[in-house]
Amino acid sequence: MPEIASLDIVKEGSKVIVQEIRGGGWVRRLYQMGILPGSRIEVVFNKGWGPIVIRVGDVEVSIGRGIARRILVKADTA
Amino acid sequence: MKPHLKIGLIGQPNVGKSTLFNILTKGNVIVTNWPGTTVERNEARITYKDRELLIVDLPGIYGLSYLTLEEKISRRFIVEENPDLIIILVDSLILERSLYLAIEIRELTGKAIIAITKVDEAHSKGIHINYELLEKHLSTPVIPVSAIKNMGIDTLLEAALNYAGKEAPILKIDYGELEPFIGSIESIIVQQLHGELKYQPRWLALKYLEGDIEVEEFLRKNLGSHYLELEEVRNEAKRRIGLDIAAFTSMKRMSYIREHVVKNTVIKADIRKRGSRVDLLFYNPYIAPIVSLGLILALFLLVFIINTGYPLTSLLESLGYTDLASRIEEYTFSSLMEKLFEFIENVISHFMGKSALESFIVNGVLGGVASVVIFIPLIAIIMATLGALEDSGLFPRLAIGTHALFQKIGLSGHSLLPITLSMGCNVPGIMSTRASPNYFERLKLILLTPFIPCQARLVVLLAIATAIGGFAGSMLVPLIYLISFSVFILLSYIIYEFFEKKRDIEVEILLEIPPLHKPYLRVIWWFTWNQLKHFLRKAGVVIFLVSVFSWGLQHLTLQGAYTDNVSESIVAEFSKYITPLLKPIGVTSEKSWIIAYAIIVGFLAKELVVSAVVTATGALSPQEAFRLIGLTTPSAIALALFVALYIPCAPTIATIYSETRNIRYVLVSIALMLITAYLLAIFAYSVAVLLV
Repeated sequence: MPEIASLDIVKEGSKVIVQEIRGGGWVRRLYQMGILPGSRIEVVFNKGWGPIVIRVGDVEVSIGRGIARRILVKADTA
Repeated sequence: MKPHLKIGLIGQPNVGKSTLFNILTKGNVIVTNWPGTTVERNEARITYKDRELLIVDLPGIYGLSYLTLEEKISRRFIVEENPDLIIILVDSLILERSLYLAIEIRELTGKAIIAITKVDEAHSKGIHINYELLEKHLSTPVIPVSAIKNMGIDTLLEAALNYAGKEAPILKIDYGELEPFIGSIESIIVQQLHGELKYQPRWLALKYLEGDIEVEEFLRKNLGSHYLELEEVRNEAKRRIGLDIAAFTSMKRMSYIREHVVKNTVIKADIRKRGSRVDLLFYNPYIAPIVSLGLILALFLLVFIINTGYPLTSLLESLGYTDLASRIEEYTFSSLMEKLFEFIENVISHFMGKSALESFIVNGVLGGVASVVIFIPLIAIIMATLGALEDSGLFPRLAIGTHALFQKIGLSGHSLLPITLSMGCNVPGIMSTRASPNYFERLKLILLTPFIPCQARLVVLLAIATAIGGFAGSMLVPLIYLISFSVFILLSYIIYEFFEKKRDIEVEILLEIPPLHKPYLRVIWWFTWNQLKHFLRKAGVVIFLVSVFSWGLQHLTLQGAYTDNVSESIVAEFSKYITPLLKPIGVTSEKSWIIAYAIIVGFLAKELVVSAVVTATGALSPQEAFRLIGLTTPSAIALALFVALYIPCAPTIATIYSETRNIRYVLVSIALMLITAYLLAIFAYSVAVLLV
């Protein structure tokens, strides 16, 4: 995985930290759901197409790939 | 007695708000609309310890931005309706995330207490919460409840009585580098608008910095030339913060929750398995669509069988078990209801004798009641099924599972619910398009869901299929369902390909996945009962009035006299003008006006088509009626297809209008369906003539 990647290409099982969310009408809903710069998330499911599933805190959220492409993340090494 | 206390119930989706609302109010709900919107407002009056409480159920929202109508409604309620108390629901299973809304509300008002929900479940999952400490950190009363187990409800009501009307200071989070900017905007607002503000100046300042369009409008209108000063401050703040201010403030709120609220208050024994096997079935984009569609198909087959016997009866017949098939059909919902109303009709006729009044009561009023009542069990079964899917947490998984398929035709997984409901009745189907967060997707669904065949159309199709008989008859229903869905898919694809792609419209899904659990019967019952009330309120009244009205059309002459003979009625006169249009589908005999007449009546409610044909011909069965009119098999097939697609029924039209408030959508919808149905019927006729 490159240093910074968009969420849609992150492999299943990886833990990442959100760096930036690039616009789109969904930004504020993402913030409210706790998906915002600095959030630690785990990619629960990603098979290359179809919605991906992430875990943020104790909640699983399904995100369409179009939205996931706008979420930039880096690996969570902690 | 003192006037009632107004109490708002607010929480994020899935926190168990409707369950608590139902427990508190015991179902005595008054349904209205929020001012100027079509969003429903549920409220109920209850009495607790001699005080009357008006409990208002606010829409489920994630935060207090200006983005959705529901969020705007909620903040207006909190500030402008001046409630005595807000009860904020926070989910004990996902404490951190669901506290976000609580924090936002506490920044706006001091008149709030917090109810921590699902504490029985949390306890059994090994989550322990120190409520006293939480209360101290939040400086707001905190009451643990479990609505479904009836735990803590009295304590909650007691607290509501104690704290109603009392105001604590609003919550001030330290926004760090942003604070000086909040301060200077706040002081401009206070200087210019002192004393005339309903909203907290600090909250306005914060929302303005976040880029809240509604607050921006408000300040621009009220501050005049001083508004420019605000813009300067905000630009400076943007430069200093270096990222989206809304992202910055959301981060601060989240870290406030983590570091100041939940710290040391929650102990989790991590015994939960992550990602159960069931979930993987629904997440996998290859397996999920098959599993999801298969499950929905199976449920609907079950509903179909209970309602009409189809397709079980056809299967049994084709295997030679004709007796068993007719026995089953006798005990299906639609035939039981039919028998019941036939019985009442006979009783009334027996005592009243034949007269215009008797005809009005039996065919007009009773017929109207019957056509509403007949749908109640039907809709109830579908709603109960969906209620179970929804409450168990399975439905969001189905939506995710089918999302990838929907995306190919420019829809998202959010459209699964409207489409599924529409197979029962288009009216709740169209109402449920509200769940779609995308405006374009919603309009498209409103326009296209009437193509999905509802149970009323199934009844008509089955009657025509029986009349046709033979192989063609047995294939009719599956064929027309196939064509209807193909039309839906194709039109949706065309709109996507030619209109939406150009405009870069994103159909996406963003959906929280609640944990799976066994559905509660009580919750399913509430869901079903609420939906039934919706149906009765919206469609019931329209269907009833329309039946009475159509009685008038069928039993009055142009001169206004009563007639027993439909061929002299207003509608028969009118049908003669439509008859020539039926030539392309092979309906040419001198009695073809009856078909035209049935089509007009069917516009009011589709299930009336068959009975109109039968009564107008004086036949005893649809089969005989078709023979009397001289309807050939190809014509009957074309007619069935036409009736399935030709127009949204009157209640559906009323719903399309009330959801869009735009007459143009109604007209487009009618035109689209009429043209599609007519062309397809002609095509089907030409093909059928060659084949049959």
